[in-house]
Amino acid sequence: MVMGFVAAAIAMLAAIIPAAIVLCRADVGGSVVAYEFITSVIVIVLALLAQGFQRSGLFELPVLLAVLMYGSSLVFVRAMERWL
Amino acid sequence: MIVKDVVSDVLLGMAVLVVAGASLGVLLMRDAYQKLHFVTPAALAAPALVALAVLVQAGWYENTGETFLALVIMAAAGPFVSHATVRAIRIREKGDWRLQRINGPSGRAPRGARER
Repeated sequence: MVMGFVAAAIAMLAAIIPAAIVLCRADVGGSVVAYEFITSVIVIVLALLAQGFQRSGLFELPVLLAVLMYGSSLVFVRAMERWL
Repeated sequence: MIVKDVVSDVLLGMAVLVVAGASLGVLLMRDAYQKLHFVTPAALAAPALVALAVLVQAGWYENTGETFLALVIMAAAGPFVSHATVRAIRIREKGDWRLQRINGPSGRAPRGARER
């Protein structure tokens, strides 16, 4: 286990708490922005944990989430634009 | 070995600082337009620093390539997502994303209006 990477992952998870507050309390536009921010950080956290625990298979998860983040964000903002 | 650890730890610390600062920016800014400016550091600068840290720690390896692949996907997708988000927020607020509506209430462009 590489401690620096695991510690950075934990610190990043703690750092998204302000964005999580915005996600819960802001209007719809602010919540969408916070959602995009948190998704971006989670991609980094997955890469950090994969390197921290030295698991090669886990490195596919950040790549997958990065692709899914793109599609899901576009679908979500389109839904917000029309229906929410 | 120690130099690699120190350099990767410094890069990781910078990435954590970038994310923490951007998160505070998202919290403290007034509206969604201003908050959106703070998504870019977390979606571009922090992944780049983390990818560099993985590169320093592991060298050119399969894992490093996949980390850089995630970075490239995020860097390519970020501007599109930001643009779509701003457009959606503006349409929710104003009813249209343009500064002035070209089309009148009938849905037809008024005489003399330029098509954009």
